[in-house]
Amino acid sequence: MSNQAYLALQNIHQMFGSHQALKDVSLNIQEGEFVCFLGPSGCGKTSLLRIIAGLDTPTSGELFQAGDNITQTPIKHRDFGIVFQSYALFPNLSVADNIAYGLVSKQFNQHDKQARVSELLATVGLSGSETKYPAQLSGGQQQRVALARALATSPGLLLLDEPLSALDARVRAHLRQEIKQLQEKLGVTTIMVTHDQEEALTMADKIVVMNQGVIEQIGTPQEVYAHPNTPFVAEFVGEMNFIEAKRSGDGLMQSGTLMLQCEPDSETTFGENVTLAIRPEDIRFNGHEGDKNNLNAEVLHLEFLGSRVRSLLQIDDHETPLIADISMNEMSGLNLTQGQSVRCQLPADRLHIFGGQA
Amino acid sequence: MSQSSLATADQPQITPSQNGRSKWLSQRSLDEWSLGGVLMIGVLALFICVVLPIYTLLSKSIENKAGDVIGLENFSHFFATPSLYSAINNSLLIAFLSTFIVTTLSFLTAYGISRTRIPFKGLFRTILVLPILAPSLLPAISLVYLFGNQGIIKELLMGESIYGPIGIVIGSCFWTFPHALMIMLTALANTDARLYESAEVLGASPMRTFFTVTLPAAKYGIISVAFVVFTLVITDFGVPKVIGGQFNVLATDIYKQVIGQQNFEMGATVSVILLLPAILTFMTDRWLQRRQSALLTSKAVPWSAPKRLWLDRTFFALMVLVSVVIVGIILMAVYASLVTFWPYNLNLSLNNYNFDLMDGGGWDSYWNSIQMATFTALIGTGFIFFQSYLVAKLKGFQLLKWCFHLFAILPLAVPGLVLGLAYIFFFNAPNNPLNGIYGTMTILVVCTISHFYTVCHLTATTALKQIDAEFESVSASLKVPQIKTFWRVTLPVCMPAVLDIASYLFVNAMTTVSAVVFLYSYHTSLASVAVLNMDDAGDIAPAAAMAVMIMMTCMIARLIHWFLGSVLLKHTQSWRQQ
Repeated sequence: MSNQAYLALQNIHQMFGSHQALKDVSLNIQEGEFVCFLGPSGCGKTSLLRIIAGLDTPTSGELFQAGDNITQTPIKHRDFGIVFQSYALFPNLSVADNIAYGLVSKQFNQHDKQARVSELLATVGLSGSETKYPAQLSGGQQQRVALARALATSPGLLLLDEPLSALDARVRAHLRQEIKQLQEKLGVTTIMVTHDQEEALTMADKIVVMNQGVIEQIGTPQEVYAHPNTPFVAEFVGEMNFIEAKRSGDGLMQSGTLMLQCEPDSETTFGENVTLAIRPEDIRFNGHEGDKNNLNAEVLHLEFLGSRVRSLLQIDDHETPLIADISMNEMSGLNLTQGQSVRCQLPADRLHIFGGQA
Repeated sequence: MSQSSLATADQPQITPSQNGRSKWLSQRSLDEWSLGGVLMIGVLALFICVVLPIYTLLSKSIENKAGDVIGLENFSHFFATPSLYSAINNSLLIAFLSTFIVTTLSFLTAYGISRTRIPFKGLFRTILVLPILAPSLLPAISLVYLFGNQGIIKELLMGESIYGPIGIVIGSCFWTFPHALMIMLTALANTDARLYESAEVLGASPMRTFFTVTLPAAKYGIISVAFVVFTLVITDFGVPKVIGGQFNVLATDIYKQVIGQQNFEMGATVSVILLLPAILTFMTDRWLQRRQSALLTSKAVPWSAPKRLWLDRTFFALMVLVSVVIVGIILMAVYASLVTFWPYNLNLSLNNYNFDLMDGGGWDSYWNSIQMATFTALIGTGFIFFQSYLVAKLKGFQLLKWCFHLFAILPLAVPGLVLGLAYIFFFNAPNNPLNGIYGTMTILVVCTISHFYTVCHLTATTALKQIDAEFESVSASLKVPQIKTFWRVTLPVCMPAVLDIASYLFVNAMTTVSAVVFLYSYHTSLASVAVLNMDDAGDIAPAAAMAVMIMMTCMIARLIHWFLGSVLLKHTQSWRQQ
């Protein structure tokens, strides 16, 4: 077991009947980190959170928190606070009573309790709402109360289960920032489950991308976005174009009649089938004559997206068109129209290579 | 992190090197183990009060008087005796007729309430469910006064006798009607305006819309009503006892075999036969519940009825007619109870309420009933709700929960008469350590709670499932014992359901005859049984008076329920209003 990590998961397996929800998941989380479990529904991220909370027991594997093995520890002997997707606020208790719900031990007298509740309400920006009932609050406010309740006992670990998914877009973006700032201020180790890649990218110190019960990649938001380990991560975090190709030389990939120069890599071998990937915003239109990886394309379709234009580019003898995003500034110089022919470039340093994906 | 709660003191410290036993024990905290213990007690209680008696009954049906196993001899004897066998035909005839009438009427009246624009819907609704507050003996007694030998409108029967199938069918329809109406109202409540709008836009005629939209949506409700009414009628014994005359049905046969001839084995045999339609109904109902829930997938837009002049008028007339019949039957009983000496001295007096002058237990039996109903409501509600809570919200204990649910559903398939007889066999056995409760108030309360267990269990379960599933996880993460969350959150939130259960138990405990008729003793005679016994002894007017007393008591109980539910709760639980 690792002594450095605050929370360590070792070889966690989880079976539900014959369905394997988690396959050999191992993960270390440092104290004070904000970690996001990111993945599509059914990928096992919620199962993993429930195991950490003690709501479920793993089929096999072990779990350590601050050096103690807590794999079999009942919920009430664990040290965490949790916010559920539904908030699970007690409807018949006032905001103050909800927040003070966990402040039962002898060290809190009535006065301390009130002080703690006011302090927490101030922290989440809801001062003065003590006597209101949950049904009188908006979704975003309920969310904050749930957060204050989870933080009331100053847990060492904060678990957030899709905390923002029930809110509308504007409130969501606002709360995203607030939760992140609060977490930084309190320094509490936090795990958040989400299926929203934008949420994960903006909030997390570390993203754990999961798919079909396994961890696909662990990394900072920048790493996960810029250097995806697998095609799944590439496609799930951000958007990605895929091109089938075959390695025909050092850093040279052949796709149909197209010869693409990539950065040399050591993982693929000569003649191996590979998948090349490039993000829509990495395709360039202002290249110079003689640059590498220039190609001709036909503009199939243009879609106005406000700050940018999304174009659909048909490349010779490739079935799937490429998606390329062009900023409005660049667009004003290019003046693309539907059906026209255009010259574009796939920069070598932006091409990702995934081996073995025929 | 010093959130030490009270239960942590004796909790073993978890270390990586734990042995298997303590690992297994430490997966749950102490209060989870103690709640699991309470659930275990609940399973045992249901096993003793429901499963074992029925098992004893089943084994009695294949034994002779000496207690030897004789296989199916009792059954072949039953089918070889024409006087016994004819009861099957009679019961089926009565049940089919009543089912047809009640299903039709309840559909039409439910349609009137939920799908037309007639006025006074609330009033009609109140009147139509009134029979549920009266014992099933009340309509039978009323019918005697209306159509009996000295009945005021017996000419309407054109020479036919009310004592027999006609009386049984009318009486059965009267008391089963509210049960049917309530199921039907639920079935018709699920409208989807979008379907009606689509039908209209596509040019469907009102008739076609009715057959393609309205009827299919209510299909399961109608089937459910048919089965429920069939079972209620075929297992009821009050109505045929009072007005059946020489017309033998299965339910009265059991009574005669056991009370009249002390032939317990044949009583058990007939009970087993009576169990069959009930089990069939039970299985159909379970099957329907699964189908029904599949129907309610999308969020429907409620439909409001358009103005249809002639249709509304027709339904208004129908509602008035049905209401008049129901109120008429009830008022007849009230009037009969007040008339000094029918039909010779029609002066009104309270002479018939002088129960202490008649056989049947007198006013004591009324107070016994109040006591029994109060205990049933208090103990029953507490036990049922808390056990349902454990089944719905306690973590783990899957096998126990499965057993509990099975045992809790079982009473729905057991007619009261059969349960009462099963209780005699089980609790009166000399070698049963519990036979001390035989003949006491305790066995009446236990039997009544068991008899009406299923509906209460399902009501509680439905209410508990509607509240957030994560409350227990949240409170565990906040180190608050689960029982405290039950007390502070779950119970207050579920208060309306708790009141429903208490009121349901009270009313049924007041009106029930079927199970307790085998179990009361000289000291624990009940009002509903007194109605039966006074009627048996020819004191029909006092019987009517006692039935009216029961009905009034139930009305008061419902008023208290309404007061607690809509007045008190609304004022003390302001959080509900948003």
